Amino acid sequence: MTSATVKGFTNEFAKMRQLGVVPVGSALLLGVLGLTMIAALGDPSFAEPRTRSWLPMLGGMSMGVALMSPLMLAVLASRQVDIEHQGQGWLLSATSGLTPGQVCRAKLVALGAVVAMITIATNVIILGVGLALGVPAPPPVGHWLAAVSGALLVSLVLLALHVVLAAKVENQLVGLGIGVLGTLFAAFASGLPTWLAHLAPWGYYALTRAAEYQGESVVLLLPSWPSLLGLAVVGGVVFALVTGRLDRQEV
Amino acid sequence: MSYIVTTENLTKRYRDRTVVDGVDLRVPTGCVYGFLGPNGAGKSTTLKMVLSLIRPTSGAVQVLGQPMTRQTRRDLLGRIGSLIEAPPGYAHLTGAENMRLVQRLLGLEDAQVEHAVRTVRMNDQMDKKVGHYSLGMKQRLGIAMALARRPELLVLDEPSNGLDPAGIEEMRELLRGLAEDGVTVMVSSHLLGEIDKTATVLGILSGGRMIFQGTRDELFAASTPDVLLDCSAPERAQAVLSRIGPATLEGSAVRLAGPGNRAVAGAVAALVGDGIGVHGVRRDEQTLEDVFAELTSGGGL
Ligand SMILES: Nc1ncnc2c1ncn2[C@@H]1O[C@H](COP(=O)(O)OP(=O)(O)O)[C@@H](O)[C@H]1O
Ligand SMILES: [Mg+2]
Repeated sequence: MTSATVKGFTNEFAKMRQLGVVPVGSALLLGVLGLTMIAALGDPSFAEPRTRSWLPMLGGMSMGVALMSPLMLAVLASRQVDIEHQGQGWLLSATSGLTPGQVCRAKLVALGAVVAMITIATNVIILGVGLALGVPAPPPVGHWLAAVSGALLVSLVLLALHVVLAAKVENQLVGLGIGVLGTLFAAFASGLPTWLAHLAPWGYYALTRAAEYQGESVVLLLPSWPSLLGLAVVGGVVFALVTGRLDRQEV
Repeated sequence: MSYIVTTENLTKRYRDRTVVDGVDLRVPTGCVYGFLGPNGAGKSTTLKMVLSLIRPTSGAVQVLGQPMTRQTRRDLLGRIGSLIEAPPGYAHLTGAENMRLVQRLLGLEDAQVEHAVRTVRMNDQMDKKVGHYSLGMKQRLGIAMALARRPELLVLDEPSNGLDPAGIEEMRELLRGLAEDGVTVMVSSHLLGEIDKTATVLGILSGGRMIFQGTRDELFAASTPDVLLDCSAPERAQAVLSRIGPATLEGSAVRLAGPGNRAVAGAVAALVGDGIGVHGVRRDEQTLEDVFAELTSGGGL
């Protein structure tokens, strides 16, 4: 990263004040936490401390991330970008040496850091709740980390999508509408054939589920890394191309 | 004379519409350059090309002795303050927080920011949210953002737009003060009156073309004012003079539109020949306003 990019990144954090990042981030955290607890407490094994297991909690966590993230990420990205349209920010940055593409990249990094922090906080709390509930087995750390990293990767791709969308399309209702459609797609993706889930980035949350019911019992799952890698490469290339074009675009 | 900004044949076309057409700017170092033209004349487009925010279709820009291109832009923009079209500012942040963003991007000292804020007299407003600012305060904050880098060149696009008369007067004083501090100021307006008293050099743009560039005195000299003839029988005089050129009745006088000296002599001779007494011949008082209106409607000198 050049020093301009680092300064741009720091500035994006400074711009987050009063922008609703805390309420939106809290909604994401509490939503995932709530769905995790509903899934756990709804599982018959949770009736007795002795039979409690991490698996229903992890399954609930994955479901919560898939249901909550699409809209919350759209809101975060849209608010962070809309201030540039409203405040002549593109021109201000350009005349201070930061191109629109660089601004967008700085926004992705800053928002990505926020989402990563929310993800870590959510999972630390889930771990704490599980321990407090006296789940007897040790947590399945490997599967857990893999699922969380996979889902975070999907979220970063979605953030990138929403950042460039909000930059290109001034009407922020467009991005939010796509976030709502994404939520629906993510909700149904786990029931769709796998190839269908691959067709839109929201579907990839289904490929990162930590656990799922197979018959009566819950089993641990690992993310399907080749698919996620494919998503990351396509998302990264598209983001680089679009922000590169923004750099050359006239303001 | 040394020029801080020059352009050669600067042209911008959108599709097949030529918005800026072969403009050769000459902005002397240290002056206040008034860049005038009616709305849609191409002022903002020209200024954006000067700042390399948009690419010229053809032609070249030199700023601070260097070609201004996408490659040199980063370094040069650190030495140029600018305010193009609407003033910038994040409404959800305070004035101080907005200034800090600029300070970080450009690596400025606290003292530079403080000085800029004091120059535009916004020091008491910095803890308020920009969303609660009046337009005049936003303009001043925008100028503070541009000034904080201690620019050698300040480019202001219609800074008086939307300001009340007091605000416009304050802007004038600000520009004069900056010029005294040695900053070259390029300021655009669609109203001559706004920059008439501050600008030492004027450039007038109309329909994308530069129709005049020079000092105020040169502008006056370049255009011929009307002549008023006071005579004994104005109605008859008008009839006689109308045969020679456009003549209108004005009280006890007849007005001839922009005649040369020879035409005036001819007119007097014609009246005397017809037995009309001529007891006064005078050039009309001409305001810069008139000259500007004449130029921009007629399309050139
Ligand atoms: N991006 C653009 N695409 C097409 N036409 C444009 C664009 N920007 C400006 N114009 C046109 O160029 C002309 C000059 O605009 P502008 O430079 O803003 O004039 P001014 O600042 O003198 O009012 C206007 O007619 C405007 O509609
Ligand atoms: Mg304009």
